[in-house]
Order: sequence, then structure tokens, then C-alpha cells
Amino acid sequence: MEEKIEQLRQEAAQAVKQAVSSLGDLNDIRVKYLGKKGELTSILRGMGQLSKEDRPRIGQIVNEARQQLEQLIAEKNEELREKELQKRLANEKIDVTLPGRRAPRGHIHPLTMTLMEIKNIFMKMGFTVEVGPEIEKEYYNFEALNLPKDHPARDMQDSFYINEDILMRSQTSPVQARTMEAHEPNSPIRMIAPGRVYRRDDYDATHSPMFTQIEGMVIDKGISLADLKGTLENFLKQIFNDKVKVRFRPSFFPFTEPSAEVDISCVMCQGKGCRVCKGTGWLEILGSGMIHPNVLRMSGYDPEKVSGFAFGLGVERIAMLRYGIEDLRLFYDNDLRFLKQFW
Amino acid sequence: MQVSIKWLHDYIDFTETAEELADKLTMAGIPVENVIRADEGLEKVVTGKVENIVPHPDSDHMFITTMNVGGAEPVQIVTGAQNVHQDDIVPVAMVGAKLPTGQKISKGKLRGVPSNGMLCSADELKLDTTNMTEDQLNGIYILPKDTPVGVAVTEVLGLDDVVLEFELTANRGDCFSVFGLIREVAILTGNEPKWPEIKVNEDDAAKAADMIKIGIEAHDLCSRFSGRVLKNVKIGPSPKWMQQRLDGAGIRAINNVVDVTNFVMVELGQPMHAYDYDAIAGHSLVARKAVAGENLHTLDDSQRLAKGTELVIADAEKAAGLAGVMGGLETEVTEKTTTIVLEAACFNGPSIRRTSRGCGLHSEASGRFERGTDVTGTIRALDRAAQLLQDMGACTVTQGVVDVYPTTKEPVHVKFTPEQINNRLGTDLPAEKMIDILEKLYFKVSEAGNGVYSVEVPSWRNDVTFMEDLSEEIARIYGFDNIHSTTPRGNVTQGGQKPAQMFEDRLKLTLSHMGLSEEVSFSFTNPDIFDKMEIPQESNLRKAIPIMNPLTDEFPLVRTTLLGSILENAVRNLSRKNEDIKIFDVAPVFYPKALPLTELPREVVKVAGFMTGRRNPVGWSNDSDMIDFYDAKGIVEDLLEILSIKRYQVEAGEYTAMHPGKTALFKKGKEVIAAVGELHPKVAENFGITKKAYIFEMDLLTLMKYKSEKTKTEALPKYPGICRDLAMLVDENVSAAEIERTIAQNGGEYFTDVTLFDVYQGKQVAAGKKSMAFNIQFQSNDKTLTDADADQGFKQILEAVKKEFDAELRG
Repeated sequence: MEEKIEQLRQEAAQAVKQAVSSLGDLNDIRVKYLGKKGELTSILRGMGQLSKEDRPRIGQIVNEARQQLEQLIAEKNEELREKELQKRLANEKIDVTLPGRRAPRGHIHPLTMTLMEIKNIFMKMGFTVEVGPEIEKEYYNFEALNLPKDHPARDMQDSFYINEDILMRSQTSPVQARTMEAHEPNSPIRMIAPGRVYRRDDYDATHSPMFTQIEGMVIDKGISLADLKGTLENFLKQIFNDKVKVRFRPSFFPFTEPSAEVDISCVMCQGKGCRVCKGTGWLEILGSGMIHPNVLRMSGYDPEKVSGFAFGLGVERIAMLRYGIEDLRLFYDNDLRFLKQFW
Repeated sequence: MQVSIKWLHDYIDFTETAEELADKLTMAGIPVENVIRADEGLEKVVTGKVENIVPHPDSDHMFITTMNVGGAEPVQIVTGAQNVHQDDIVPVAMVGAKLPTGQKISKGKLRGVPSNGMLCSADELKLDTTNMTEDQLNGIYILPKDTPVGVAVTEVLGLDDVVLEFELTANRGDCFSVFGLIREVAILTGNEPKWPEIKVNEDDAAKAADMIKIGIEAHDLCSRFSGRVLKNVKIGPSPKWMQQRLDGAGIRAINNVVDVTNFVMVELGQPMHAYDYDAIAGHSLVARKAVAGENLHTLDDSQRLAKGTELVIADAEKAAGLAGVMGGLETEVTEKTTTIVLEAACFNGPSIRRTSRGCGLHSEASGRFERGTDVTGTIRALDRAAQLLQDMGACTVTQGVVDVYPTTKEPVHVKFTPEQINNRLGTDLPAEKMIDILEKLYFKVSEAGNGVYSVEVPSWRNDVTFMEDLSEEIARIYGFDNIHSTTPRGNVTQGGQKPAQMFEDRLKLTLSHMGLSEEVSFSFTNPDIFDKMEIPQESNLRKAIPIMNPLTDEFPLVRTTLLGSILENAVRNLSRKNEDIKIFDVAPVFYPKALPLTELPREVVKVAGFMTGRRNPVGWSNDSDMIDFYDAKGIVEDLLEILSIKRYQVEAGEYTAMHPGKTALFKKGKEVIAAVGELHPKVAENFGITKKAYIFEMDLLTLMKYKSEKTKTEALPKYPGICRDLAMLVDENVSAAEIERTIAQNGGEYFTDVTLFDVYQGKQVAAGKKSMAFNIQFQSNDKTLTDADADQGFKQILEAVKKEFDAELRG
């Protein structure tokens, strides 16, 4: 009896080891030896015919053999499953370099993108965003900004007029006066005013009859030129990069005194001098200054009590420098091949 | 304004290079645009003498020269020039030279003969050829016989000067002069100016006042008119040094009298004019307003008709010149002139500007008057000019000046306290520093008690009237760079955008996420657009605001429709083979309340979209279906949902530029909040669009008005709901919206939603009918629905659609 068991054990182990190539085969082996009518099962079933003394011993041997076989089958099963999995994985290989299936995508215009970023920087510094009409009274466009009738900047040749008193605003600065008028006199203001402006410039690589400007203004007690410097340096480092150098040059605008032209180190050549900066290493980026007392007075603010600074910048210019765009007309040409390069 | 470094050096010493000086001036608000070096590229060009010249053995037009260039050994150079002879002295570009033309000179062989340099023409050296003779222009530039050999050509030709080209700001008229610039150079370099002594010797017994009458009639346009009479004038060339100074200032030498008036203008900033005394009718000059239609015969020999606003200087008979802009031809100084009247006056800047712009004449003089000249400086200028001409031996000077100066200009006084200035600048400068700066700029500072200082502004600084102006003077000399940056202090302010702006940004981002690209278009338009868009003649959209002075005929109007702009952009893209287009634009249109405009127009921000071409990007696994009406409508539906606009009705309707049978109007009550449709075939044809295209338009503020403010979330259903499908045949004219509405109205208390999931017309459906299938949902918040609960509502729906639409139910 023991020999028979031992023989079955070895036979089965051998079968598991060798003959098996699929899970189905393994199941056959299990049925043959361990199934209801399997050979080892039959021995257990026939235990009744054995002597009382033999029963426990033989039972133990059969059970051991059975456990051993079950473990072998389990191991083999694991091995086969792993093999089959590997085979499946190999078969299922695809060309992952084929392009993915993408949803149709649209793009935000680079001017809007730039504008959104500029707005965000100033909003973080506590600025509000104000708007005003694009067709504007001459008063707000010029007079309220200390530009008297005879001022060269008021030349009819330079602006689009609708009639003697109404024109397409030539700058976003009228929003300054409108914002001051909407406030309690002498109450603090921190605002920017972005928007389209219009000038009678011929349409070329650097000029357009319509372009986008941002005007900014801070008014409070004790605002100084040093504050103007700090605020604009902060802004320029955020919109370009931390390494950009900023320089303030004395200049002249009728609505500010002192006035400063603000340059940044050329972002194309890092200030070494190139075609874009005309070899100077510097790029003019915005105009600014301490608000002229007349401008404050015109809108009901008292220059003895408060002071402020103002600045203006062209969104196109900033976008051109950031994205390396050399022809301003691309913004208004709206060729999809251009628009698709953004966001 | 441009001036040479040599001219500056005439009056002040400094060790800075031209570039260093330019930088200092620029950083002090006197911007130098360019530093021009005339010697650029001429470093290795020297004078050489032709020792020997023989024909090239292998060429019928070249010569081999032996050149003495000052070195121990002569140099052999092959030339193709035909005008060079033995003993000529010519410019020689040595090996290593890089000429202004970009040509590099290196050792070489010409037809086998070594050549170590090049003989140069005036052209090759980029010399100013205006005063050259024919001979000097044709071929090699032959220098005068007495020219030293072996020296730099720049030295011989006086090209070793450097010119600063300024781009001065409008307020600094005083710096349009060498004196003005010297004042700035002095304070910036810390050196003392050496002002020339201006002194005139009235050596002619005749009295100016007896010879000429001067008057001012137009007091608003002329505040001072001064004159001097010079006799025994000998017209000839001015000295070389003066010509060189003028050349550096970009002014061509003409003759001694004209050159002196120009020289004094640049030196002192006071424009001058010289009249031929004998040509002045009645020997009287009056500054008066022109008579409209009056003929002006100006120096450029053109006849101009006066508008009547110009200031002219007239003699007893006629206008003898456009004041401050251009002199008259008849009184011009000529070779034959023997007596001259010098004019130095102060004219109204804006008037001069209008006149010079009006007739397109910009001169050095008009530019200076426009910015404002120093009214106190006329006599000094006359004296200086007389002195210079006298020094040249070109005239005698009569006794006295004739000076009409009705209202003497009083000096301007400005008060300040150091605290005010420091507060404005954010600095901590001591009073002494401020006073030092102001005094070096020739402001007279005195104490006015209580820490207040009173400042007398120099006569040439018309731009300084307030304490704030003084703060600028102090800041620009102290250096903007030396002011430490700070950030504004004060109460923390709450930054942010207005709801409308946030809504606009959100809308743009949403549309871009839905596959549309944003365009930006001009606010201008032209009437053709209205025709192309088939806008009816009586439509308000045609009432666009005309621009008084449009740039071109292309854009005479301010737009009333954004669709027109987007169509034009679409056409441009199509013409460039960008065939799959999904674009949108958000921008204002302008509706006048009345025309001509009496008050500001209404500015209404519109949202417009245009779509054509393939639905999906071209790809190996994408279908190539074309966009249709429902894609465009879906965009609008999605957009409204994302913007929280709910409970609107959709109706078929008509809209600008849309196909009348394929237009959906989204409405809130009677108000249209959005329109979407196929581009009208006629409009498409007018624009040359051959593919089916879809457009939409909305009004930003109207949308915003209906934005739901609800922010609470609905709880998820606790109990399972029941779905029922309903398929029916209806007349093809019945709209989906009608059926959906009927379903919703009759679904009973558990009805929650209906979704149209199939529409079919074709073989298995009778002609004139369509099959539609809806999925209907029932749900309760209180219990699990039984079939019976759903059946009740479903039964009501069945009856209603049968009754209302004569629907035939399908299995």
C-alpha cells in the first residue's frame, strides 16, 4: 500500500512538473489524482478496508501526499498563470507612439493672456481693475490730464475724432480722472485701467491704429517717487523675470512731475546689446511719474493732502518681448497658425 | 538736435568719452539717441602718395602702384582706377581695414600681382559728397597736393569729431542749444563752463533806429521783436571752424551771414533771420497776422496762400516771411547784399507749430519756437551774431538795437520746503544738497523764513512753475537710481476686478476650453460690411458712427456688429488654407443714441463666434465629419450652462446674417440672450465662403444679468429612480423642444428629466414623418418608486403626445 501511494505521489509530481503546458492540463491532473474519483481520493475512500492499526498511518501518508500534491499544483498554477499573463501582455502590445485622441482645443489670444497676467500681478498688490468708455469726451482724454488745447499731443492729426468734443480715446488715462471723480475726494486709490486705445498711426510692424494700453494709478497720503520705483520694479520682475534689471530715466509727460521713462535690461540679449535693443542693452517699457498737481486738482483731489503716481504701458510691447514676436500686426491678423501657439 | 563733442569742448573741459557723457546726459533726462562717429570704419585708412604707376601686364584696365604711406617701405597696390597719376595723394585702405561699406581689406593677388591694400573713392569711405567736385567724385578721391602723407585720413578730412544726437523732451526747449547743453554737462561732470565773451563794437556811425522801423501788431503771437542793422556786408564763405561746427549740428554751410545766424541759433537757442535791408519795402518790418488769401513767396521759391492764422513779418508792401518758419524770397540775403537787418524775436510756440505743420515746413527755427525760446535772450543773440560777423571782417555794426518788447517778462518765483521735496521723492536729502543742485542749474535760492525757500527760475526754464518741477530737477541730478525703492504704505486695499470683467475673462476661458480660439479685431468698419452681411437698409446696425478723420477709406466707421469683424477674419484664414476654423471674439460695438453724435454712444460688449470645417482635429483615429448646426448650438448650450444661465427657451427665429430656417434664438421671456445659426448662404457668397459655416452672437451684460447666483449643491437622490423610453413617430415639423415641453408638463409628480436620444428620418419612416426617442426619468426623494408610480406619469405623457402631436407610438 505504501509503495502504491509513494508511486502515485511520484507519478503525480512528475506529471505536474513535466506534462503541463496549460491551466487546463493542470486541472486534468488534479482531477486524476485528487478529484472525487481520483486515485489518491480512492485510496482514502478505501481506508475502511484497512486494519485499524494501519488506518492512521496510511491516512497520514495519503494526506501528506495529497497536501504535497496540492501545493505542487498550486505552485504550478501560479507559474502557469504568470506565464499566460506574460504571453497576453506580449500579445497586447500596441504602438504607443501613435498620437493620442485629443479633444478639440481653443486658444486664448496672446494679448488677452498677457493682459490677464498683468491684471493678476497688480490685483495681488491690491489694485482694482477699472474700465472706461472707448469713445470718450475730449475733456477726459486731454483736459483732465493737464493737456491744454494747444498741446502738441492734442493735435487732431494724431487722434480719431468723432466731432470737436468726442474722440476715440488715445490713451487709457481718461479712466484715471473718471476713477478719481467716482471716489470721495482724497480717498486712497490703487487701480489699473486696461483697454483698447486708438491713434492715427499707420499700420506697420510696430504701430497700429488700435492697440492695448494699461494705465495705473496709486493715490494716498505720502506716496513718493520711491514707491513708484518699488511698485514698477516689482511688477516688471514678475512679468519678465527676477533677473531683469530696471532703470528709471527722467523724462517728460504733461500729466506727471517728475516723470520717468522705465527701461528694462534687454530680455533678448540679457543686456549685451542686440538688434531688438538697438545695441543699447535696454528696452523702453513704460512711462510713469508722480501725478501732476493739476491733474489731482482737476478731479477734486487736493495735492497738498495726497500725492500719487501713475504709469502707462503697452500690452503689445510686453507680449512681443515675452513671446519674441517681431511684427505687431500678427496680433490683429488672427491667423490660426499664430493663435494656436498660445495656451 | 545734434551737436559735436568739439563744439561742447569749446566751452567746457571734460574727460568723459562721448559714450560716457551720453549716458550721463540720458540718465539726467537729456536723452542722447545716438553717438555718431564719422570715423567709423576709417581706422586703417591713411593718406598715400603715388610714387610709381605702371600698367598691369595681364590686364588692359588695371595698374600697379607703388605707394608711399609714410612707412619705411613703399607698399604695392593694384588698382582698377583710371584717374590716378604719379604724385597724386589719395586715401589708402591698409591691410586689416574694415571700410564703412563693410568691405574688409586683406593681402591678395590681382591677376597674379600681389596687392597690399586699396586706393579708395569718396563713396567707399562713405564721405559726405555734397561739396565735392566732379573730379573728386569720379574714381579715386584725389586729395589736395599739400596733404601730408602717411597720416590718418580722418584727421585730414576733419572726421575725428563725434556727434551726439539728442531726442529731447518737449519741455526742455532750453537744451536745444549748445549753451543749454553746456549747463547740463557742467553740473553732471562737475566742471566749470568757459562762457565766450559776447561783446559787440558798434563801429558804424549810422543809427539802427534811423534806418529800420520794427513793430508788433499781433501781440498774442509775438512777444518781442528785436533787430540790428549791419552795414558794409561782404558775403562770402564762413571760416572752416564754423562750417565744421555747423556740419556737426547737421546744418549745411551756405554763406557767412546765414551760417552765423544758424551758428548763433544752435549756440544760444535763439533762432535768427537776416533780411537784405535794401529789399525791405519802406524799411519797416511788422509782426502781424496774415490776411487770408495773402500770397507768401517763401525762400524755397514756392507760393503759399495764407489761411489768415499765420504770423508773418511784413514790410511796407507785403509779407516778407512766415515768422519763425521760413523767410521770404524777395528779402533773402544774396551775393549782392551789402546791408542786412538781423531779426531775433520771440514767437508764440503753438502758433508756429500750427503754421509749420499746416504747410509741412519743419525747420531748426520752427522746432525751437514750438518748444519755447527765452524771451530775454534776443539782444544777446543779435550781439553775438554781429560780433561773429565783425570778427570775420564781414561787416560794420551800426549804433544800437531796435527792440520792441511791450511786456517785460518777470522772473518766476517758486517756493518749496525740503520736506515737501523729500516727501515727493521718498528721499532724505539735506536742504544744502537741494540748494546746491538748484544753484548749479542757475536757479537763485533764498530763504523765505520758517524753513521755506524761494527760488527764482532762470529765464530759459519756461517749464518750471511748481514745487513739483523743482523736485524733478533735484531728482534727476541726484539720480533716479540713487533713490531707494519702497512699496506704498497705507491701509491694505482689496484689489480685484468688477463682476463684469470677471465674467468676461471666465467666458473667454470657457470658450477656449470648448475648442474655440480667441481673435482680436479692430473696432473700425466700413459700409460694405453691411451690404455683405445683407443687413436691411433701415436697420439700426447701419447707423454706425463716422470718424471725422479716418486714416484710410478702409475704416471710416466705428463698428456696430462684431459678426462683421469675425467674418472678415474667417475669410482671411480660409484664404490661407486654414480650413478648420473655430474662433470667437469678445469686444464692444458702438450704438449712437443719435447721429451726429451729441453724447457718448452706448458701448455694448458682444460675444461672437464662427465655426466651419471638421468637427475633430485631423487624426488617424478621428472621423472627418464636418461641423453642423448642432455643434454650434451645443457650444452655446454648454457655455450658458457653465456660466450658470438656466431656464431659457429656444425657438426658431431670424437673426442678422443667419439662415432663416437654421437659426435658434435663446430667450428669457421676450429677450434674446443668444442667437446661433448657419451662415446665410447669400452672406456666405458675398464673403466668398464656400463651405457651410455657423455663427453665434451674444451680449455679455445680458448674459450676466441672467447668471444664476445659486451656489448650493443639490443632494444626491437617496432612492433609486425609474427610466422609461418613449419612441414615437411625429410630423417632421414638430420641434423637439415642443415635445420635451409637453413631456415635462405631463410627467406627474415624479418626473425629473427628459433626454432626446434618437432622431430618425428615412427608409423605415413614412414620408413627412420623423421618429424620435426620449428617455424619461422618474425619481422621488421620499421613497423607492414602484413601476406603478412611474406608469402613472408615463401614461399621462403618452396621452398628451398623442393628443398634441398626433404621435404614433413605436414598439
